[in-house]
Amino acid sequence: MRRFLASLRDGVGFDILLVGAAMVFLIAMAGLPLIYNVLMSFQQVDMFTLGSLIRPWAGFQNYIDVVREPAFWLVTKNTFIFVFFSMGGQFIIGFALALFFAQNFPGASTIRGLFLVSWVMPGLVVGAIWSWILAGDFGVLNTILKGLGIIQSNVFWKSDPAFSIWAVVIANIWLGLAFNMLLLSVGLAAIPRDLYEAAELDGANAFQRFWTITLPMMRSTIGAVLSLGLIGTLQQFDLFPAITEGGPANTSTVAQYWSWQMSFQLYDFAKGATISVMMLVLVLIASIIYVRSTRHEVRG
Amino acid sequence: MTRPYVPWLLVVVALALAAVYLFPLYWMYVTSFKSGSEIFANPPTFWPREIDLSIYPNVWTRRTMHVFLWNSTLIAAGVTAITVIFGTGCAYVLARYRNVWVDIGLFSVLMLQVLPASVMVTPLFVAFNQFGLLNYPRTAVVLAAAAKAMPFFVVLVRATFMTVPRELEEAALVDGNSRVGAFFSIVLPLARNGILVCAILTFMSSFGEYIYSKSIIQSPALQPASVGLSGFLGPNSTDWNAIMAYSAIYVTPILAVFVLLQRRIVSGLTSGALK
Repeated sequence: MRRFLASLRDGVGFDILLVGAAMVFLIAMAGLPLIYNVLMSFQQVDMFTLGSLIRPWAGFQNYIDVVREPAFWLVTKNTFIFVFFSMGGQFIIGFALALFFAQNFPGASTIRGLFLVSWVMPGLVVGAIWSWILAGDFGVLNTILKGLGIIQSNVFWKSDPAFSIWAVVIANIWLGLAFNMLLLSVGLAAIPRDLYEAAELDGANAFQRFWTITLPMMRSTIGAVLSLGLIGTLQQFDLFPAITEGGPANTSTVAQYWSWQMSFQLYDFAKGATISVMMLVLVLIASIIYVRSTRHEVRG
Repeated sequence: MTRPYVPWLLVVVALALAAVYLFPLYWMYVTSFKSGSEIFANPPTFWPREIDLSIYPNVWTRRTMHVFLWNSTLIAAGVTAITVIFGTGCAYVLARYRNVWVDIGLFSVLMLQVLPASVMVTPLFVAFNQFGLLNYPRTAVVLAAAAKAMPFFVVLVRATFMTVPRELEEAALVDGNSRVGAFFSIVLPLARNGILVCAILTFMSSFGEYIYSKSIIQSPALQPASVGLSGFLGPNSTDWNAIMAYSAIYVTPILAVFVLLQRRIVSGLTSGALK
C-alpha cells in the first residue's frame, strides 16, 4: 500500500493517475455514449422503452425506415452541397487571404488576427446576424447586390427552396474562413524563404512558384485543413436553427440537423440515433485522413 | 521609386478586406442602434439617422437576460473547471513521453475531438434520462460539454508543455523534489500562460454552447443565453433590432476579451492547432 502511494506521489503512478482521470471521464461521457448510440440504432426505442437498456431488437429496420423517409435523398443531397461548398469556399478564400497576409507589410499579423473574431463568437449569434443580413425584403445583402447590379430583384434567401441551403452555406463560409486562413498561414510560414529566392533567380514567375513550391510544400497542411474543414462542417449545427430551421420543406436540412429533429422534435430517438450512426461513418473517414496527414507532427 | 509605397498599398487593401469581413459585426451594432421603424427603411441606412439606445434596457428586462447570462456563466465556468482540471494533467503526460501508448492516447483524444455534438446529444440525452441526471439539467450540460471541449484543450495545452524544457524538471527531481512537487512548482508555473489562454478559449466557446442546452434544459429559468436567443429567433423573425441588441449584449464581453488577448490567442492556436 505504501509503495502504491509512493508511486502515486513520485513515480509512474502519477502519470497514470493524470491520464487515467481524463480518460475515464472521456470514456464515460463520449466513448460509452457512442457505443450506446450504435446499440440504439438497432433497437426499438419509444416513449415506453426510453428508460430501459434492454429494448426489443429491431435489426436493420431503423436503417430501412430512415432510407425510406421521403426526405432522405433530399437531406443527403443537402448534406453534400453544404459540406462540399462550405469547405470549398472556406478553403479557397482562406488560402487567398493567407497568401495575401504572407506578404511583408506593417500590421499584417494584427490585421489577420482580427479575422479570428468570428471564431470566438457563439454560433447562434452568427446565425442571427446572417439571418438578418440575408432577409428577403429588408436584408442588406440584397441591397448591396442590387447596388452592384448583380441581381435585379430581391432574392428570398431563407424562404426560397432554391436558395435556402445556400443561405446557410454563405454564413458557414464566413464562420470557418478565419480558422482555415490561420492554419494555412502557419503552413506558409514554414516554407523556407530561400526556395523562392532560388526559383526567382532561375526565372520562375509568381504562378510557377506557387504551383511548384507552395502547393507541394503545403501538402500535409492542406490535407489537415481539408479534413478539419470536413469535420468542422459536419459539426456545424447552430446556424440551422438560427437561419432556416431546415425549411422550407426540408430544403435546407442536413444530416446533423435532421438527426436532432428526429430525436428532439419528433421524439423518434431510434431514427435520430440511426442517422447519427450514418454520419459517424463520414466523420471517421475524415478523421483518418486528418490523423494520417498530421501523424508526423503529432509524434514530433 | 515606387517600392516604398507598395507596403502601404497592401495595408490599405488589408484594412479593406478586414472591413468587408467584419461587416456583419458592424451591422449587428448598427441595427441595434436603430429605431423600430428605421430597420425597415428601404434602402437600409448604413449609419443610423438617430441613435436610439432604448432597446437595450428594454431587451434586458423583457428577455430576463440577467438569468440567461448568469446560467451561461455558470455553465461555461463548470465546463472550464472540469476541462482544466482533467485536461491539464492529461496533456502534461502526453507531452512528457513518446511511446506507443502516448500515440494511442493522442489518437483516441483526436477521435473524440471530431465527434459532432449533434451525434452525441441523442445517446447522452437517453443515458442521462436513465441515470436521472436530467433532474439536474445544468450539471448534465456541463458534463456533456466538458467532454466536447476537453480534446481540443488537451491538444493545445500539450503543445504548451512541449515548450517547457525537460532539463528544468529533471533538475528539480535531482534536487529532491517528488514528481508531484516538480509538477506543481516547476512545470505548471512555466506553462501557466498557455494554460490560461486555452482556459479562456474554452470558457468563451462554452459561453456560446447551444445544442446540449437546447436539448437537455427544459426550464427557462435554467437555460443559457444561447437558448434564450433562439426563443425569439427564427426564419420569420421581425423584431430585428431587439435580436441584434440581445446579440450585442451577449457577445460584447467575448469580443472585448478577444481583442485584449488577440495576440496570445493567435499564437496559442498557431502553435498548437497543427502540431
